[in-house]
Amino acid sequence: MPNELIEIKNIIKVYGQEIKNEVLHGFSLAIKEGEFVSIIGPSGSGKSTLLNILGTLDTATSGQITINGEDISDFDEDKLASFRNKNIGFVFQFHHLLPEFSAVENVMMPSWIEKGTAVDDFKERAYELLDLVGLKGFEEKLITKLSGGQKQRVAVARALMNKPAILMADEPTGNLDSETTMKVYNLLRNINEELNTTFVIVTHDRHLAAKSDRVIEMIDGNIDRDIYKGKKGENEEWQELAPVYCRELQGVNVD
Amino acid sequence: MKFEIKMAWRFLKSGKTQTFLILLGIIIGVAVQTFLGSLIGGLQKDLVNQTVGNSPHITILGEDQTPRPVLVTDHDITRIITYSGTEEGIKRWREKIENLDRNQDLTAVSPVIEGSGFAIRGSNNQSVILRGVELDRADRIYNIKNRIVEGKKDISGNSILIGVELAEELELVPGDSLQIRSAGEVTDRFVVSGIFDLKSGELNKSWIFMSQQRAGTFLGIENKISSIELQVKEVFEADKIASNLNDEIDGIKAENWQKNNQQLLTALQSQSSSSIVIQVFVIIAVTLGIASVLAVSVVQKSRQIGILKAMGATNRSVALVFLLQGAILGVIGSILGSLSGIGLSQLFVSLIRTADGDPLFPVQIEPLFIMLSIFIATMAGMIAALIPARNSAKLSPIEVIRSA
Repeated sequence: MPNELIEIKNIIKVYGQEIKNEVLHGFSLAIKEGEFVSIIGPSGSGKSTLLNILGTLDTATSGQITINGEDISDFDEDKLASFRNKNIGFVFQFHHLLPEFSAVENVMMPSWIEKGTAVDDFKERAYELLDLVGLKGFEEKLITKLSGGQKQRVAVARALMNKPAILMADEPTGNLDSETTMKVYNLLRNINEELNTTFVIVTHDRHLAAKSDRVIEMIDGNIDRDIYKGKKGENEEWQELAPVYCRELQGVNVD
Repeated sequence: MKFEIKMAWRFLKSGKTQTFLILLGIIIGVAVQTFLGSLIGGLQKDLVNQTVGNSPHITILGEDQTPRPVLVTDHDITRIITYSGTEEGIKRWREKIENLDRNQDLTAVSPVIEGSGFAIRGSNNQSVILRGVELDRADRIYNIKNRIVEGKKDISGNSILIGVELAEELELVPGDSLQIRSAGEVTDRFVVSGIFDLKSGELNKSWIFMSQQRAGTFLGIENKISSIELQVKEVFEADKIASNLNDEIDGIKAENWQKNNQQLLTALQSQSSSSIVIQVFVIIAVTLGIASVLAVSVVQKSRQIGILKAMGATNRSVALVFLLQGAILGVIGSILGSLSGIGLSQLFVSLIRTADGDPLFPVQIEPLFIMLSIFIATMAGMIAALIPARNSAKLSPIEVIRSA
């Protein structure tokens, strides 16, 4: 039985000082090691807020968060930063690479931050990762010279640089066409299977979500549904989630 | 390389136009500073040099013996001339000279026997000051050897050196003999061996150099001298050195040049103050320039800052990136600025010349001053970067990532 890698209890998030706006209403959630989890829900449902809190980019107003065995609820900013650096990789909707640097330098960045020195010692691993994401030959190119899909793949390689236990992605394919979306998705899935990295992905694409192991649907700051994929397409709820995709899986002609 | 240095450097390099403009600003600022400093430094040194370069910085007299005006009457001519009285004089002076020779602060020590008299040629006569010196020692102060315009530098035996104006007045050329009568009514004949030009009308008209022994016998001064003239390494330390000498040596009184040149000193001081004021404002302008550019840069780079923080860069580390940008701008700008300033001063020296083709005045390039302005500009760069750095530290990665 895999361990609980992420555990949150009674998480509440309130924005604003004077006009308070509670966006997460105090729920609990546990994610196991190696799980590939999608979080879906309408905009404003709090799914990105939840991801940011899970990724330690944001802090909860109250509640307890344990990641990788460490209770980070009381960590200060610097401690969180270093924890994030070692344990969590991020892929964002907009690739968020540094345009001043080349692909391989961007990939090495998390290691540079960890060690405090910008040396080429990490280049070998960065090259391997770029190869893994299918960017062999593009290593020394400036970010500005890459296409949208290539940039997103560099971002994935960067997220993997420090061998994080968890990879968080917020609409990682939101800006890509459907073909590239599939490529990036397949890449993430492969990494999940090969490296046993835990994935938490926020997406509004139900078809993409249907390819996960588990889908958490959020509505109005609460978890509305938390469904595990049973056998392929047999789970009713799962079918409802992405009927087209499920029928495809069952060999039913969509048309 | 430190991670922060790499980031700072790359950020500066990526904003080429911006970096270039602010560098140009610092370069101009520091160049003006260096140029102005060198110019004023040179001007002051030149002024001081003209004032005391070829005169004693400190004069040691016997106690209670001050240079005083003495009324000298000869026939129908009455003149007041200033000379140090010889009645008292300095006794056991050889021992004192030996002591002074060992003093590291001094560059020239010249014992002088001095007295007044009249130079007589036919019906024409001139009141003169007779100075018995050791030529080598006096030379270190007055640079007589290089200022002989006619004849040769010889004061052995009866040979004397006279000034150009006296020579003109009495129509003397080297080789001529000259009758001199001392204040003590002793008259003797001397041979003019050379004619000097000390660039001072007063001295050229009245001074006569002769050997110390000859002056001693002629003026009737034995076993003592009138004064010891000194030059010091640090001209502005003369007052301190003089007061030390007063404490160290018994039976003498040391007087410094500053005492008689208060006006010049005040002028130099106000010049220095105005130069400092200008330089302070230049530094402020440079600092504000760096600060504003970096403030803009923090806004421009806020996305990058957010990304770095999301990847685990600490607030301290991100702030350091901006501090380093300020420091790098300061160091590079001030080094290039100093070089431009030095170039500008050299250009000034080579272009602006007197009618004779000499530089108007030498420009003084002080390595220490330049190091100081580099240091100050670097500090200014870092101080200027403080506020932008703090703002960068305050940036939350979430806001940046959300607003894409």
